[in-house]
Amino acid sequence: MQRRDFLKISAASGAVAALEGCGNPDHKLIQFIPEEDLIPGIATWKPSVCTLCQSACGTQVRVMQGDAEVVRNGQLGLIKMGLAKKIEGNPAHPVSHGKLCPRGHAALQVTYHPDRIKGPMAVTGQRGSGEYQLISWDEALKRLQAQLGPLATAKQKGALLFLTAPLIGQRRTIVEGFAQAFGGSPVEFELFDRSVLEEANLQSFGIAAMPTIDLSHSNYVISFGADFLGTWNSPVAQSVGYGAMRERPGQRGKFVQFETRVSQTGANADEWIACPPGMEGAIALSLAHVILGDKLRPANAAGALGTAIDGWSTGLTEYAPEKTAAQAGISAATITRIAHESASNGPAVVLIGDLATAQTNGLASALAVNALNMLLGSAGKPGGIEFSPTAVAGGATASGRGANGSIRDVVQLINSSVPKALLLYGANPVFATPEAWQVKALLEKVPFIASFGSFVDETSILADLILPDSSPLESWMDGSPEAGTTRMIVNVAPPAMNPIHETRSMPDVLLTIAQQTGGDAAKALPWKSYEDAVKASLAQYQSVKGGSVTATSADDFWSKVQAAGGWWSAEAEPAAIRLGETGTTIRTTTAQFDGDPEQYPFYFLPFPSQMFYDGSLANLPWMQEAPDPMSSAMWGSWVEVNPATAQKLGIAQADLIEVASQHGTVRAPAMISPGIAPNAVAMPIGQGHEHYTRYASGRGANPIAILAPMSTENGALAWGATRVKISKVGVGRLALFGGSFREDEIDREPR
Amino acid sequence: MARQWGMVIDLDRCTGCEACVVACHAENNIDTVGEDQAARGRAKHWIRVERYYEGEYPDIKAKFMPVLCQQCAAAPCEPVCPTFASYHTAEGLNGQIYNRCIGTRYCANACPYTVRFFNWFNPVWDEPLNLQFNPDVSIRSVGMMEKCTFCVQRIKAAEIQAEAEKRPLKDGEFAPACVQTCAPKAMVFGDLNDPTSEVARLARSNRATKLLEETGARPQVTYLKRGSWNGAENAENA
Amino acid sequence: MTGVICVASLGLWLAAGRSSKAQAPAPTPLAAQDTGVYTTAHSSILAAVREFFGIRSTPVQPIAFTHKVHLANGLQCVYCHTGVDEGPDATIPNTNFCMTCHVAIDTTNPEIQKIAAYQSRGENIPWERVYGFEQSAHVKFNHAPHIRAGIDCSTCHGDMTKQTVAVQAVKLDMGYCITCHEQKKVSIDCVTCHY
Repeated sequence: MQRRDFLKISAASGAVAALEGCGNPDHKLIQFIPEEDLIPGIATWKPSVCTLCQSACGTQVRVMQGDAEVVRNGQLGLIKMGLAKKIEGNPAHPVSHGKLCPRGHAALQVTYHPDRIKGPMAVTGQRGSGEYQLISWDEALKRLQAQLGPLATAKQKGALLFLTAPLIGQRRTIVEGFAQAFGGSPVEFELFDRSVLEEANLQSFGIAAMPTIDLSHSNYVISFGADFLGTWNSPVAQSVGYGAMRERPGQRGKFVQFETRVSQTGANADEWIACPPGMEGAIALSLAHVILGDKLRPANAAGALGTAIDGWSTGLTEYAPEKTAAQAGISAATITRIAHESASNGPAVVLIGDLATAQTNGLASALAVNALNMLLGSAGKPGGIEFSPTAVAGGATASGRGANGSIRDVVQLINSSVPKALLLYGANPVFATPEAWQVKALLEKVPFIASFGSFVDETSILADLILPDSSPLESWMDGSPEAGTTRMIVNVAPPAMNPIHETRSMPDVLLTIAQQTGGDAAKALPWKSYEDAVKASLAQYQSVKGGSVTATSADDFWSKVQAAGGWWSAEAEPAAIRLGETGTTIRTTTAQFDGDPEQYPFYFLPFPSQMFYDGSLANLPWMQEAPDPMSSAMWGSWVEVNPATAQKLGIAQADLIEVASQHGTVRAPAMISPGIAPNAVAMPIGQGHEHYTRYASGRGANPIAILAPMSTENGALAWGATRVKISKVGVGRLALFGGSFREDEIDREPR
Repeated sequence: MARQWGMVIDLDRCTGCEACVVACHAENNIDTVGEDQAARGRAKHWIRVERYYEGEYPDIKAKFMPVLCQQCAAAPCEPVCPTFASYHTAEGLNGQIYNRCIGTRYCANACPYTVRFFNWFNPVWDEPLNLQFNPDVSIRSVGMMEKCTFCVQRIKAAEIQAEAEKRPLKDGEFAPACVQTCAPKAMVFGDLNDPTSEVARLARSNRATKLLEETGARPQVTYLKRGSWNGAENAENA
Repeated sequence: MTGVICVASLGLWLAAGRSSKAQAPAPTPLAAQDTGVYTTAHSSILAAVREFFGIRSTPVQPIAFTHKVHLANGLQCVYCHTGVDEGPDATIPNTNFCMTCHVAIDTTNPEIQKIAAYQSRGENIPWERVYGFEQSAHVKFNHAPHIRAGIDCSTCHGDMTKQTVAVQAVKLDMGYCITCHEQKKVSIDCVTCHY
């Protein structure tokens, strides 16, 4: 393992931390007077918010006194300070309910990561070389001001490109305001795009938001590929609801999963049904056909959502089970039975996501599922699909949220007129887009690039200037999650601990620049600090009746909300849905795949990794060593191959496989997996980083890189639409936790 | 009556997400061993989620089962330890006393559940990851066995707090890290000798079973079998 | 409660695992970054032997603090060593705490002037630890239950009215703990203290 070859004991800094007296006379570090009043050994719990995915689960952080190396007035020394030790769910929080997913726990390692950027840096070598020197904040701000100031005066549209991960709350408001004031636009990018479902829900229900699923009251759950107990949408809230659904006294709910590869979520299904990629919409309509034909629900139950679908009014004859069965390889009897079961065991809810919506017909499939939900009577009802009222209040009645297709707009923008400045925060499109999109070459054209992130990754390594944000545990948090609860909710939390490095809160840096620039920029961002902005935004909730916090004054409200980790309504208040009158007819088209089936015989199924999510968490050692749920693999990548296919091709466990699409190749060891179709291969997303700290750099393979530039109907990346061929090119290695503890790794069999 | 700590794990609720695995690492100062040592089977996941496949594609099913130290009442790891490092505590736990351990690894050999882990090397953390350490849990060094303790540090803290407040411990007042974080509430922890406790009630379920009971180890973890769906005749799962 | 933790100091090489095969070496982190490691390995064989036998050098305190004088002036133990009845650890107060009194009291004393100098530099006084268990003892000692049980500080720390800087006046070996636990009929189950 690299780090053992890699011990670096820093003589200069003494590297002798945590020395509440080991009697070591070699102390070289001075001790600063503590700035916090803490009793050692006693924990305080502080509310916070997890930022590792879009769920925005409310957390509580265990903070205890410890010794940390910090810099004060340019001098390195030890200080006793409150240190975050453990993250748990906040029991009072309506999304997390006191629980967390594995990633939430690992967020601690972001704060304490050895390769975290510890202060502002300027590039010394060539762009992309990774050679930086530490500079002071004064210097960094001066340089940033010098680059951005002129843009505010010139106000040339498209001069500034602000590329971020999807943001919420005042953080988002400040980024948007800043971008616009400096002649630019904010662009949000995330690999696991929500735009397909948001667009579908906008058309069907008048709300451009991810659904909040009331699983605890559901009796029958059908999921088309959505990894709702692992990574999709709001997994913690959904898992809590799922647990309740299973053991509700007297009525244990049923769960049916349709997908091509047994996912961690799919493994929990009562009935797991293999279905080829791209056929999900057709199967949903097949179920609708049976329900309509056998009159299991009122004829017009689906209303406008149904009639918008081509053929609905005539009973969807094209989707008779026999027809769909032949194409999908599922028996017609199964389709008929499931249709009957779902219609007579309500509330029944249907979900779709992940690979199913990452197809060229993803939007049509999502609309088909919405119509089916409407038909089953679960749209906008308990036990079914609902929507967060704060998502609606936040403007989710119009589409335009972050999507991965947004990067192509960026690409087009740069192609037509190169921005003068690119600001980066939390987005890594160089890693998370297909090489066919050539994102790196295009971003490199921008003359000035600055990053606010905490790590050097494939995208931020292009930065000329780095102004590192403090980690989430060291920062103010605010904002409302798009899904996960139908209570009104806004998260608010002060930093759980003081920064251990010379980092500064990114929104505060933007506010400083805006104030220094003056004029319209200062007017657009009038707050003295991010904290002030958050406080101002909360005022609207103080007078709302039935909230979790009652207060006598604005200041009282502010301190109580902070102590609770946010404000939420006591009762569920799902947003009212406005049934779509789109007027356009939706055809569920056949999914298209890149690559001739003769030459590229396998469907390529990249899947979100439970540990690395979209790759952004591969830098955390706990995530690298946590075994993948289906394969128990650690520290690597693999290619899942069906046993019969493997036998036919002479591939043994851990053989090194080359996976080739029309757009590139990657290599990883084979994992013989009974859970995948014979005509498909799968790879976990998240490894294959070229630059991403010592734990992830140069490790594994990135399946996104070889994807074909296929799109969903609304322009998102269809990451399930690539076909590949595979060949054995050598011998690889799998580090599996399951199986025997034999020295010869190649002989490991998964259990 | 003396306490007997135990757990119930409902396999119908477990989703295989492994939040318990990572929560345990964070709570108990377990180091990551790195790729090479992990490939040699030396990763130390005090709790793991086993996955079993049944059938053949497309009629394929998969099942999850979290496995941790069963705190056996007749633990096979206890009689084989030459130094009494592995011993049975007064409250029904299998205690692992690090300073007694001389690293013979007979206990791991004897354990039918493969839940004991050995420190082949002194653990290493790249600074400042060590700032995350839980001060209530020992840092184990080379040559020591380690395993799940049912978060004995939390048990001790809760007992001391209850004593300070001059009241008995309440059922569900605290939980080990894995139980606390389990989102579908698949895991329940408590005193099996308290008939009114949740864990005792669930252990009497008609779905209850134990792992490798035939070894005679008398494990204190009860597993509730996965349910099935019978449509209209859906039986209540106890 | 935290035992003595020995950290690998300068110049240690650990027992290394096999070197990585079939993987490119990780690129070095940013040139500006350099981090050390925390490990339970001892810094030398001598250090390991010393820990095994519990040999410790006599701590040399940066300030000639005198418990005798402070106690004679009426201060209680918990005035400075807060937290001892709430949790596992007893605080050692920081420089500011000392100066709350000593900004006015005994200001001509050179030792006090040293404290004032620490404060003006923003530094905490680097006290050397006197009490604590070897890391290898894996003891989790918790002050609070003992204080709540009415045990006097002097039982384990000796008569502080006779000490200037603190010294280990009482031999705190396991036998000492067990004897008292047996007398008071408190648990001597191993896991009470060792976990």
